[in-house]
Amino acid sequence: MSAIIKTQRLNKIYEGALRGQDVHALKDLNLEIPEGQIFGYLGPNGSGKTTTVKMLLGLIFPTSGSIEIMGSKSISSSTIKRNIGYLPEGAYYPDFLQGEEILAYYGRLYGLKGKDLKRRIDETLEMVGMQRARKRLLRGYSKGMRQRIGLAQALISDPSILILDEPTTGLDPIARKEIRDILLRLRTEGKTLLISSHELLEVEMICDRVGILFDGVMQTVGAIDELLIQRDMLIEVDGVTENIVSEVATYGVKLEDRIGTRSKFRMEASSSMYDVFELCKSKSLRILSVTPRRESLEELFVRVIGAAEAARR
Amino acid sequence: MNGIVSFFSGPAYIALYTYREGIRKKVLIGFLVLSLLVIFGSSFISSFLDPSSETDIDLKLIKDICVTAISIFGVLITIYISASVVPGEVESKVIYTILSKPVRRIQYLLGKFLGAQMIIIVNLLLMGVLFFMALYLRQGVMPTLLLWSLLLTYFEFLIVSAFTFAFSCAATSPLVPTIGGLFIYITGNLTEYLKDVEHRAGQTGQALDKIIGDIASALHAILPNLQNFSIKMQIINGQPNDPPTDVLIPNLILYGLVYCLAGFACAYLVFWRKEV
Ligand SMILES: Nc1ncnc2c1ncn2[C@@H]1O[C@H](COP(=O)(O)OP(=O)(O)OP(=O)(O)O)[C@@H](O)[C@H]1O
Ligand SMILES: [Mg+2]
Repeated sequence: MSAIIKTQRLNKIYEGALRGQDVHALKDLNLEIPEGQIFGYLGPNGSGKTTTVKMLLGLIFPTSGSIEIMGSKSISSSTIKRNIGYLPEGAYYPDFLQGEEILAYYGRLYGLKGKDLKRRIDETLEMVGMQRARKRLLRGYSKGMRQRIGLAQALISDPSILILDEPTTGLDPIARKEIRDILLRLRTEGKTLLISSHELLEVEMICDRVGILFDGVMQTVGAIDELLIQRDMLIEVDGVTENIVSEVATYGVKLEDRIGTRSKFRMEASSSMYDVFELCKSKSLRILSVTPRRESLEELFVRVIGAAEAARR
Repeated sequence: MNGIVSFFSGPAYIALYTYREGIRKKVLIGFLVLSLLVIFGSSFISSFLDPSSETDIDLKLIKDICVTAISIFGVLITIYISASVVPGEVESKVIYTILSKPVRRIQYLLGKFLGAQMIIIVNLLLMGVLFFMALYLRQGVMPTLLLWSLLLTYFEFLIVSAFTFAFSCAATSPLVPTIGGLFIYITGNLTEYLKDVEHRAGQTGQALDKIIGDIASALHAILPNLQNFSIKMQIINGQPNDPPTDVLIPNLILYGLVYCLAGFACAYLVFWRKEV
């Protein structure tokens, strides 16, 4: 697992007009994004996500620390940038152009031309579902349409690294699903994705790793399956009577829900699962389902940010 | 060779799209329409007064108005465009999507600057062609002198444009660079007076006067002398198809290019590490 994007002790201080107005937006950030994975970059508003992304693209410069992309420190060289597609936060494009003209313009800046360019324009428009609006001026696009064309321009050169700052804001549920599918497909093609987002459900669905940033400091980073601790099991059984409910309680199992003879019990992952199964067997209860439940990303997020906030006080 | 082509292809596209965007700006179209109205309208001056008795004076007046209109509106367009091509994209954040492509900052600036020049040239040509036609129809001789004048005027604009552009790269909005551009244009046309100031301040021998004299002399040395580019007097008083006298065209072109290069270098200096 080699890191395709790597930062070391990256700091960013935005200098204010007056002394004391400086904003220390990133503090000693060590980020490692492995190749071929989707990395979810999370954090509350103003935590420094966009700042990081803009530094990766050379739009702003680190106050200290280093950035390495594909093993190279000269991140503003054309060789490196050729491999990166970027969707900025909130989509801004020359709005006097048609959708497909934007893609042609940006494709040419990547050095695409002729048939290749035309094919990529068709492919990306198809991918983001903008075939029908390709001839319309951007001025007349809705927010979601702009976002889609933004994604298309990030994909135009078929880059191996995609950096997407809040890719699904402003999109309808269907579009979100479509975009998610596109991102997953890109991963199967071996691409590396860095996605900054506030949509924790989506991130949980598609990301391999996440990092949670707070106030410029990386609080937690790791594989999503390792970070989300398994919390409990939900067991659904049929044929429950009042007696059984009280007996089950002695195993540390709690009744969550009961409709007639059907009940849902919640048990700690550590508790004596087999005892409960035994009990069900001896009372000839029918087990309908057993669902392991892990902490949601939202819960993790709230927990991590809560702890960080408490520590700051 | 291949390297050169690939280095300039990015700027060429940026220039093209800058031109396409700029040419639709309402302010610019407004200036252009106004200037065309002035040029067109001025031809009626004599016919309003008395069509049968067009005098030499009338013709001189018309020429004066038109030459002045072309330089005033031309420079307004030049300053407006040069001041806004970069800040416009910074404000709209379009620049994020462009600088994140394999485009170096120098290439970006080059593209933007060339795009601005295309707009300036097209506008100058539109105004020039109308004036050319008006003079030709009136006098029956090809006013070739006017073409030389247009060429020189362009190089004058090029200097103003390069410095306005440099200001605009340091600024966040077009306002400050616009003022800077006007300053360059106005003082650049007054450098003769600076010489005068320097001369007279040197005569009193007082300390303060000496400082003023030094400042004037420094400004005189640094600022481009834009008066050099004007052959207005010859256009007004001379024959329309004379070659330009009193000016050395190649020298002036070189002068313009050197100042343009200096301006562009300043632009790059402030832009190469600018946070956008
Ligand atoms: N150009 C700037 N000048 C000064 N401060 C800035 C600038 N850009 C960002 N900041 C500050 O840096 C911090 C991080 O901002 P950043 O935009 O990176 O946050 P973010 O994580 O992307 O937030 P969001 O989720 O709202 O997009 C904030 O405190 C912000 O006010
Ligand atoms: Mg952000």
